[in-house]
Amino acid sequence: MTDPIIKVRDLHKYFGLLHVIQGVDLDVQPGEVVVIIGPSGAGKSTFLRCLNFLEEPSAGSIEIAGMVIDTATPLRHQRKRILQLRRKVGMVFQQFNLFPHMTVLENIIEAPVTVKKQPKKEAIAKAEELLEWVGLSEKRDEYPSRLSGGQQQRVAIARALAMEPEIMLFDEPTSALDPELINEVVDVMERLAREGMTMVVVTHELHFARDVADRVIFMADGGWVEIAPPEELFTSPKEQRTRQFLAHIL
Amino acid sequence: MKPYDEDPGAHHSKSVTVALILVAVTVAVSLVYAVQYFAGGPLRMPVVTQLYDLDVSPTRGLVAAAAQDGSVRLWQPRQDWAMRTLPAHQGAATGVAFSPDGSILYSAGDDGKIRKWDVSAGQVRQDFDAGGQPIYDIDLSADGTTLAVVGQDGIVRVFDAASGDVLQAIGPSEHVGRTVAISPDGAQVAAGDGAVVQLWDVRSGKPIQTLRGYCQEESLTTQKACSKANKRWMGHEKLVTALAFSPDGELLASGSEDTTIAFWDWQTGKVKWESGGHWAAVTTLVFDAQGKSMLSGGADNKVRTWRLPGGKSSAYYEGHLSAINGVAFGFEKDTILSASDDGTVREWETANQKTTHIAWAQYGLQWEWGETLVYWMLFSGLVGLFILWGLWKFKPWGHMLALILYIWGPVVILGLPLLETLSYPLSWGLKLRVAAPLLIMSAWYLGLVLLLTHESVSDFYESSPSLPLSERLMLRAKTLKLRGSIYTTAVWLLIFVVLYSVLRRFNLDIAFMRHWLPFIMKGSGLTIFVSLVSIVLAIILALLGALGRLSKSSVANGVSGFYISLIRGTPLLVQVYIWYLGLPRLGIVLQPITAGILALGVNYGAYMTEIFRAGIQAIGKGQYEAAEALGMTRTQAYKRIILPQAFRIVIPPIGNQFIAMMKDSSLVSLMSVWELSYRAQKVGRQYFRALETFIIAAAFYWILTVIFQLLQGKLEEYMARGERR
Repeated sequence: MTDPIIKVRDLHKYFGLLHVIQGVDLDVQPGEVVVIIGPSGAGKSTFLRCLNFLEEPSAGSIEIAGMVIDTATPLRHQRKRILQLRRKVGMVFQQFNLFPHMTVLENIIEAPVTVKKQPKKEAIAKAEELLEWVGLSEKRDEYPSRLSGGQQQRVAIARALAMEPEIMLFDEPTSALDPELINEVVDVMERLAREGMTMVVVTHELHFARDVADRVIFMADGGWVEIAPPEELFTSPKEQRTRQFLAHIL
Repeated sequence: MKPYDEDPGAHHSKSVTVALILVAVTVAVSLVYAVQYFAGGPLRMPVVTQLYDLDVSPTRGLVAAAAQDGSVRLWQPRQDWAMRTLPAHQGAATGVAFSPDGSILYSAGDDGKIRKWDVSAGQVRQDFDAGGQPIYDIDLSADGTTLAVVGQDGIVRVFDAASGDVLQAIGPSEHVGRTVAISPDGAQVAAGDGAVVQLWDVRSGKPIQTLRGYCQEESLTTQKACSKANKRWMGHEKLVTALAFSPDGELLASGSEDTTIAFWDWQTGKVKWESGGHWAAVTTLVFDAQGKSMLSGGADNKVRTWRLPGGKSSAYYEGHLSAINGVAFGFEKDTILSASDDGTVREWETANQKTTHIAWAQYGLQWEWGETLVYWMLFSGLVGLFILWGLWKFKPWGHMLALILYIWGPVVILGLPLLETLSYPLSWGLKLRVAAPLLIMSAWYLGLVLLLTHESVSDFYESSPSLPLSERLMLRAKTLKLRGSIYTTAVWLLIFVVLYSVLRRFNLDIAFMRHWLPFIMKGSGLTIFVSLVSIVLAIILALLGALGRLSKSSVANGVSGFYISLIRGTPLLVQVYIWYLGLPRLGIVLQPITAGILALGVNYGAYMTEIFRAGIQAIGKGQYEAAEALGMTRTQAYKRIILPQAFRIVIPPIGNQFIAMMKDSSLVSLMSVWELSYRAQKVGRQYFRALETFIIAAAFYWILTVIFQLLQGKLEEYMARGERR
């Protein structure tokens, strides 16, 4: 077994008095796809957002691709390291969050050019490749408002990939989409998984979890309830809570 | 498609046919009227006849005026209508003069004749031979012996008034003189020659003096050098348009297109007194019998009185609608008379400068309106032919063009004279009589427009019936939108017309406004400059202020909070004073413009801080997170993602602020910055015409804001490019 690319140790998060994440650990191997499911309010999104410090963890340590950030040192002293860590982690949001004042192409080259100081020509070439890959070459000069939800989310994926991250985080990427548009996004995610990307996905798409995930985590009340390969978790869950949840949504 | 193959005209309603016929009749009548008018035909709009000269015979109790229609009109005192009309000349009559006893009247006209009338009989006694060219001006010596005239041929002729013999013919002169004057004893004659005045001895015909403009500082010979040295230029710079000898023959008064009046000691060739007061060419001058005062009339529609000696203006009389061409002292003491292009002779009381009586040669519209209407008929008739063709071919554009022509046109072309005519100092019966042609035309156009806009007609012209349904619907939507803007524009025009008429009733000194408009306009550059620089400063301050307010740093928060509180809590006027008066005490002496820009920029920056803050806060949290997740620093996220979007949101309110600032920039006039308001204020105070100058300034501010609003619209369109659907 190789070294895990993500190592989370005893992670806690409080919102005021609310103990949202109650000390979880997680190791993810390179190329592994981990899907987190669970009832709303379980802390799935918060956990995911802690991984790239969009939420500041209250306690615990996170190691990503060899870079350790521990809350033992105040996070405000580690700003630079957090910025470096974020470069290795791409994120896709439920609401796409494309930049509305930029065209599709500009959205994708924005971060490589401003953050990585990549030459514009190179960034454009890369962006065109990515657009081709997500099947939206002809939309390169459109503004996001003229795209469907599915197309926007595919652009958002391309935008995250343009930074050449080692890990991709997906925060309910299909929840804001009309049902008929979900597949085009899921297809892209499957292809990404097949190409060996390490992915942590919070989703309600059980098909995706079943077909693509290496492990599925069922999370409730701020902690792991059950971690297992999908076929095992979906067919013979060990825990009562998992069974209840699955009964509800299946 | 079957339904559209049929003849598109087959199903049009009866009202469309009626509309077509009405338009055709309108076009035909317009063209026929215009063509016969220009061909000298008999149909004429009833218009006043302009009056070109005036003279009074106190002994006979008669007023005579030379009229544009070639007649000489005679009134008794306080008569409304001309008592008698002498059919004197072909073309216009241009001059009249009574003999001292009032028994004889001399008239001159465009036909080059000088006629000597027996006033009691109304008969021509004799025609003088004056060369046959149009005559511009005549003057009879105070003793009644000698008559001088000048005409288009540039020859000054002096006649023996009794016999009609030519005593002297001088010239032709190089620059045709417009005006002539003969000394009280008939010994000298003076005529304008460009900007100079020439005097001749009548008996010998020899020139005796040239009255040429000169600089106060006599070593300076050019006007440029003179004005550079801040010295006055005595005499005239432009065409001399009026001349008169004083009763004792010592002084010669001259009026000019340069708006000044000069009183010459003609024997020495020096100007004794020089005065200004008219804001356009001085057209006529008359001394009283004692030489204690003088009257002048101007193209600025005003009569002025001048006190002698000294040549100071003592009063002015306003009320005429058009240029004054003749002035005279009245029958009673303390009254004066004036004749004008507006077709009236007015009597004024000198005590309070009020009109006491208005006499008309004939009732009618102002002459200019008559002309305007003819050109309107011609124009609308020609455009009407296109409209007719468009309507005939069932084109939506034909109908729209008809709406534009028959709504916009009459609103302006009929609205302006109608409102003006109804404000004349006449009885309502007479007003309606004068306005009758306008009212009839208005009623006709109103009927036409009501029919054109009636559904049964307008529905028919919404789109072309021969198009497929989808295109018809698109065309229909476009047509309706365009029609909406045609009506809206018509309402604007109507308001303009009413506003203009109200302004006319303020009795504004139009000639004064025209004279000073370029001077005030020069301030708009500075106004724009001050506003632009101030808004840039304000935007920078507002951006910093907003970031400060949103920042977690106590220092930034405190500074910007205090800034906003202080600046918003004190009046801009007070701030302007403090910048201007306070900084010098610290040893910082600013240019007034710089101080003004600082005051405006700092003030507006405080208000705009809140706008920017709201704009930044309106950008969703998701945008910030997306930027962070991509590894951007806070600064990068603001610069690249947040602010560009916030900027689009704040452009409309910033545009509003800019418009407000453009007007508040008038406050820098407190510091004697020569922008619009300061110039308006300066000129207005100097000449007691503040209303006029401030109206000019208001107009310019308005024009500037309208232009800016157009630019703002374009900018918003550009900034919203990501929002287009």
